[in-house]
Amino acid sequence: MDDLKAAMFVGGSGMRAQGTRIRIISENLANANSTADVTGGEPYRRKIVTFKNYLDRDLNADLVRVRRVTEDQSNFNLKFDPQHPAADENGYYQTPNVTSLIETMDMLEARRTYEANLNVVDLSKRMVQSTIDLLR
Amino acid sequence: MINPADAVAAYNQHATPVPSAQTLGDGGATTPVRNFTDILRGTAEEMVQANRVAEKVGMDAIAGRAELTDVVTALAHAESTLQTVVTVRDKMIQAYQEILRMPI
Repeated sequence: MDDLKAAMFVGGSGMRAQGTRIRIISENLANANSTADVTGGEPYRRKIVTFKNYLDRDLNADLVRVRRVTEDQSNFNLKFDPQHPAADENGYYQTPNVTSLIETMDMLEARRTYEANLNVVDLSKRMVQSTIDLLR
Repeated sequence: MINPADAVAAYNQHATPVPSAQTLGDGGATTPVRNFTDILRGTAEEMVQANRVAEKVGMDAIAGRAELTDVVTALAHAESTLQTVVTVRDKMIQAYQEILRMPI
């Protein structure tokens, strides 16, 4: 396996990892209003993706993959609404610790990283092709 | 500039003769002769392997079991391998045809 083809597969692994990241961000955004339906129950907890590198022995290159999806342990937000099924005796209930602004920025970063990896795949493929064209 | 004599020498160095039927016949010629056919077979097998992987990933993608990025990289790999094999084959056959056209 030559280096340009290895670069193609490395870029592919980066795209896959960022795809998972986008999925987690979309889960966070979609569940930004998911609350418990009983008093004392916990609302949706924000998820965080971490990545790790691993050596692919066939390619002899470091690929990236999602290490694990952890939960954000920060405090939930409180909202006042005595009519809510999860409201406590003071009328407050917990809402998810998701901030849509942070998620939007994370999404932007994931998109840029995805595009960078996509460019790596595209460029290495084109470089291989133009080298083959040289033979003709 | 390319010297014709150098070119002939380089050709002689790389063009190993095809084993004759006699050497193949007597008790199995053990020396592995890397001739044009073997090289072509080797690269073609590599190409077939890459194509099989791409085909499998493609079928998995249709069934909804594979990642799109896997399909893209596998197909791009198969495509470039196929192009390499086809181009090298064309080039080699072109060389043979040049020799065949040589007036004796």
